[in-house]
Amino acid sequence: MSVLARSVGNAFRNRVRTAAVVAVLAVAIGLALSMLVANQAVTGKVAELNASVGTVLTVNPAGGQGFEGGGEPLTAAQAATAAKVPNVSSVVGTKALRLRNAAAAAAEAAASQTGQAGPGGQGGPGLPGGQSATSVTTSLRAAIDAGTLGNRNQSSGTTGGTGSTSQSAPAFSLPVTATGIGAEVDSSGKALQLTQGTGLGNYTASSAGALLGITLAEKNNLKVGSTFTIGDKTFTVKGLFDAGTAFGNNALYLTLPTAQSLAALPGELSSMIVTVNSMENVDAAKTALQTALGTDKADVSQGQRNLQTAVSSLDSVKNISFIAFAAALATAGLIILLIMVMLVRERRREIGVLKAIGAPNRTIGLQFVLEALVLVALGSAVGAAVASFASGGIASALISSNSTTAAATGRRGGPGGFPGGFPGGFPEGNPLGGANQLLTSVTASASPGVIAAGIAAVFGVAIIGALVPALLTARIRPIEVLRGE
Amino acid sequence: MIEVKNLVRTFKSGDRTIKPVNDVSFELEQGTLASIVGKSGSGKSTLLSLLGALDKPTSGDVLVDGVSLAGMPDGQLTRYRRRDIGFVFQQFNLIPNLSAVDNVMLPMEFAGIRKAARAERARQLLEQVQLGPEKHVRRINRLSGGEQQRVAIARALANEPKLILADEPTGNLDEQTGEHIIELLSALSRDYNTTILVVTHDRALANKTDRRFRLQQGRLTEETARNRAAASLPG
Repeated sequence: MSVLARSVGNAFRNRVRTAAVVAVLAVAIGLALSMLVANQAVTGKVAELNASVGTVLTVNPAGGQGFEGGGEPLTAAQAATAAKVPNVSSVVGTKALRLRNAAAAAAEAAASQTGQAGPGGQGGPGLPGGQSATSVTTSLRAAIDAGTLGNRNQSSGTTGGTGSTSQSAPAFSLPVTATGIGAEVDSSGKALQLTQGTGLGNYTASSAGALLGITLAEKNNLKVGSTFTIGDKTFTVKGLFDAGTAFGNNALYLTLPTAQSLAALPGELSSMIVTVNSMENVDAAKTALQTALGTDKADVSQGQRNLQTAVSSLDSVKNISFIAFAAALATAGLIILLIMVMLVRERRREIGVLKAIGAPNRTIGLQFVLEALVLVALGSAVGAAVASFASGGIASALISSNSTTAAATGRRGGPGGFPGGFPGGFPEGNPLGGANQLLTSVTASASPGVIAAGIAAVFGVAIIGALVPALLTARIRPIEVLRGE
Repeated sequence: MIEVKNLVRTFKSGDRTIKPVNDVSFELEQGTLASIVGKSGSGKSTLLSLLGALDKPTSGDVLVDGVSLAGMPDGQLTRYRRRDIGFVFQQFNLIPNLSAVDNVMLPMEFAGIRKAARAERARQLLEQVQLGPEKHVRRINRLSGGEQQRVAIARALANEPKLILADEPTGNLDEQTGEHIIELLSALSRDYNTTILVVTHDRALANKTDRRFRLQQGRLTEETARNRAAASLPG
């Protein structure tokens, strides 16, 4: 019988005790593995967030944002200045247009001429923000009904509005947002998720192609290859994208020069999306950018500040899960240490006999270490099963408790991205609205690699835990056996 | 040949110094069956543990075939116990969750003998101590006291030691079984040419050995010698 076989046999000497030890170990190991899985999932998510949305700054005209406010428009020269700021890796200009359905605009104009107070006069002289030149007509109809919020916002945005919709006012139809972009990103700097078709190719050249949100395309019965008009120009649908929100999908993207041409404002930008090379440099780049462009010319905001809060929340989850992993690991090691110390004390006589018949200390020590590893292997098997079921729930519990804290913090002081200047508001305008969505999208799955790494760590700790009692065996003197006779 | 020279072992007990082994000297020829009798606490077990290198003497020396144990490092003492000594204890001291054959194989495993060879030798030894084959694979706790002592004797013989030290080997057995065990030890000492030193309270048992020693207050005296009866192992 080999040392290993003897160790396995010893591990099952007292089956009730073995079952109890394995159960306790399984809880500790299961918790350790769950924490490791949660830690890995959150680490991955943090990296993903950092890589995608955590490093974007938005530059708007000073005093203006979206279609609200005033000030001077941004220019291509300012974009060039921004590109030279240290740690800025890219600058993408955008030009936003509000497209009114031609038929609806004509009906509203007719109503206005009969003396009724129009609901905002989109495209008319009363438009706030002095950006009336960027409103043009289109054959497209908005995919979203104005509803109560749209009509209320429209009414309050009118110079003569009273805050309530006039009974005689015709129903307001929402405009469609068309954005000229200098790269294949959305207005918040995230890559467009095309569900059909292709991109527009070179976004810095004029093009008769357009990318449509899926609900806008559906509302207008358009597919890839279909055509529609903006002003007097015909455009072909090159691709469809899914922005993930109803609002975001009621939009279309053109190349930047095309949008500037439609607005008859070449070289003018509505905003700039500035990407910084790493999250650590975002604050410094923001300050440098603000200085380079001038505070009277441009407002620089960290549109994803809320996401930074979210990332910091995830970072704390990562830290908590790592500490919990280490604590559970140490607990498993301590359990092994105590169990093996108990077994060594219990088998002092047997150890003495083994020494009396010539067993070297290393053989006896190895036997106890292997016995501990047998118990750990059983505990790991059960613990891995526990972790595969529990890790998702534990990760969710950790994340939800931390995101609640972060949301509370965000509501108190977060800049909040776009302040909802557009009728209906941007979803990002709600502090942590998008961040919470990202937080809850963290999925903790117990991958074999992570479980294997966790079990390897458990075995490492178990060996350390078992070595102490194994070394204790070396101190047992065989004479004690005969003295007990 | 075992030579014991002026062996002394002292212990401190509070302010007192106890000498359970006090200037003990004797020699045993190879193949001798000897006994040491004495009252409880006379130092019999202490002397046995010194001979078996389980304890170190305060002074004096033990020589086995001319090799001194004095000053031998622990590693070499372990090797000495493994190769040259076999122990038989009153409480048997077998490993309870192992079978009889596994217990006998243990010292051979420590000596690095291959598994097949040690299994074969373990079965032969168990047959020689008259333990039926059907009991070879039984767990120790399913064997009687006499059977367990036979397994312990087989284990002591596993590595063909020069000296077997038996501490009250019949102390836990009934009279008849005890007699069988002593006959077995006698036959083994002659057939294997192994020196066997038995520590016992039992004068009748001691009378069956070649040489009898008495240990009194740490001092050893030889009582008498007898001519050995012809005994032989089965088979």
